[in-house]
Amino acid sequence: MSVYRWLDERLDLDRLNKKFMRKAFPVHHSFFLGEIALFSFIVLVLTGIFLTLNFEPSSRLVEYRGEKLPAAYASVLYIDSLPFGKVIRSAHHWAANIMVASVFLHLLRILLTGAYKRPREINWILGLLLLGLTVVLAFIGYALPFDAYAVTATQIGYGIAKSIPYLGDWLAQLMFGGEFPSLRSLPRLYALHVLWLPLLLAALIGLHLLIMIKQKHTQPRYAEEVAPGKVLGVPMVPMQATMMGILFLLYLGSLFLLAGALIAHPVEVYGPPGTSTPVLKPEWYFLWLYGLLQMIPSSWQIPLPGGAAITSEFIGGVLIPGLLGLVALLLPFLDTRRTKMRYLELPSQHPMRTSVTVGLLFFFFVATFAGWKEEFGMTNAQLWAMLVFIPLGAWLATYVLIRQIWGKEG
Amino acid sequence: MYRNDATGPFFALLLAAALYLSAYLDGRRIAAMGGGYEDALTVGQIGLITFATLFLIYALIGFFSIWLEGVELRPGRRLPSPGAAVPLVAVLLAVIEAALGGFFVRLMLHHLTVEPVSAAAQGAVFGAMMLVGAVLLAIYKKYYLGDEVLVEEEHSEVPW
Repeated sequence: MSVYRWLDERLDLDRLNKKFMRKAFPVHHSFFLGEIALFSFIVLVLTGIFLTLNFEPSSRLVEYRGEKLPAAYASVLYIDSLPFGKVIRSAHHWAANIMVASVFLHLLRILLTGAYKRPREINWILGLLLLGLTVVLAFIGYALPFDAYAVTATQIGYGIAKSIPYLGDWLAQLMFGGEFPSLRSLPRLYALHVLWLPLLLAALIGLHLLIMIKQKHTQPRYAEEVAPGKVLGVPMVPMQATMMGILFLLYLGSLFLLAGALIAHPVEVYGPPGTSTPVLKPEWYFLWLYGLLQMIPSSWQIPLPGGAAITSEFIGGVLIPGLLGLVALLLPFLDTRRTKMRYLELPSQHPMRTSVTVGLLFFFFVATFAGWKEEFGMTNAQLWAMLVFIPLGAWLATYVLIRQIWGKEG
Repeated sequence: MYRNDATGPFFALLLAAALYLSAYLDGRRIAAMGGGYEDALTVGQIGLITFATLFLIYALIGFFSIWLEGVELRPGRRLPSPGAAVPLVAVLLAVIEAALGGFFVRLMLHHLTVEPVSAAAQGAVFGAMMLVGAVLLAIYKKYYLGDEVLVEEEHSEVPW
């Protein structure tokens, strides 16, 4: 206590506490999704620091335990041999997956409760950028172990980047250091993965939180009766901070139990890159894009001036997700209401928004399913019919059900 | 509406169980379970397990939140009131935490000097340490920290 008093006399900690640490946090379990995403990022940074100390981002051949192997691959085998090394590497993989999933569900929660509306448009856009950046960061990390799987999976992304008319070569140069795989690929991807993109992500997360603190959370509706026009919640310190501590420990406990029991990417199973290309699919969060690529015939080509072309890779891998992203970015500006959004909206009172969201989710499910086109022996015509009619049917059924059960638009 | 009740966490728990089961029934062995045999998980399994784990964490923190923060907030303060049995439980958990910590260090040393220890065992001991720590912190919040609910002006000077 005397240490606190000593610091307080010099730094006026009491004032800091009164001004900044008393922010009211509304209580609802769905608010923890954003915190799970934040803790995933923190775990990724912490486990990433350990990995960087032992990883060599190079594809040059080195001798490791009597075998000639790429240095990056050999250094991953070395990490796996260290005490707790394999678990930390596996936790890094799982945390990346959980971060993508939690950012997605967090955005879904914001969408379904209308929390993207005025005045929170900027934070909605930042959230979308964070999702995109998280996916790109996870994708780049996939290449680093430089095993047969990683190299082949990254080549799919390299092909998509290259397919962008006029910009493709420049983008491939920026992200992959030229052709992939080449000697310059890993150092470039490594620098992006451990430095530039995490710095950008950290800056965006900081801005996202700062704006959230300024604009306050949306609140449960009952708060309107308890404290009309005000924010009802628990103070950040010590109440919310303690809950965050509990969540962080629960997160670490669940993550490390999982990471030890199930190794997410056992490099020794895939082996170093060889002459044969392994049969594989990209990570689950890219499967819907992969599915779209499977459905679009490679004959779909529109020539452009200057020798460029709109290819099937561009349509499936860039154009369709780009259009979906653009609609999502514009969403808050389509709502023309002028009043401030204070309270969480019930999805049942907004049947159109809710049903369109459900339809969109079914679009992702069907596109993901298309990733198994060959295994299920489906034709393109069947998959296209499913991609059009199942989301439409889900949208219509959800809309009718909500209107029948809960009545008109709220 | 949007009361902090058990419906969400309950369904999250149910969903987590269903997704874990779906991943298990994928038709391939789940890697490294029981015996150190390793095979690669499919991307489908990784996706299912990712969401299952996320829903599990959501359910756990949801139930903790209901227990520690209640269903609805009402402004005011509540002083802590630890019962007689609480310190006993806390001490017992602290002892378990210390034992797990010691065991974890011994596992690391064994891995370094004698023979490799399976990743499952390393992860399990470390994970258990974190989960016991979470319960200890929850007990501290419930019985020693008290409660405070604020009403804050919508337009404040924070952060500017």
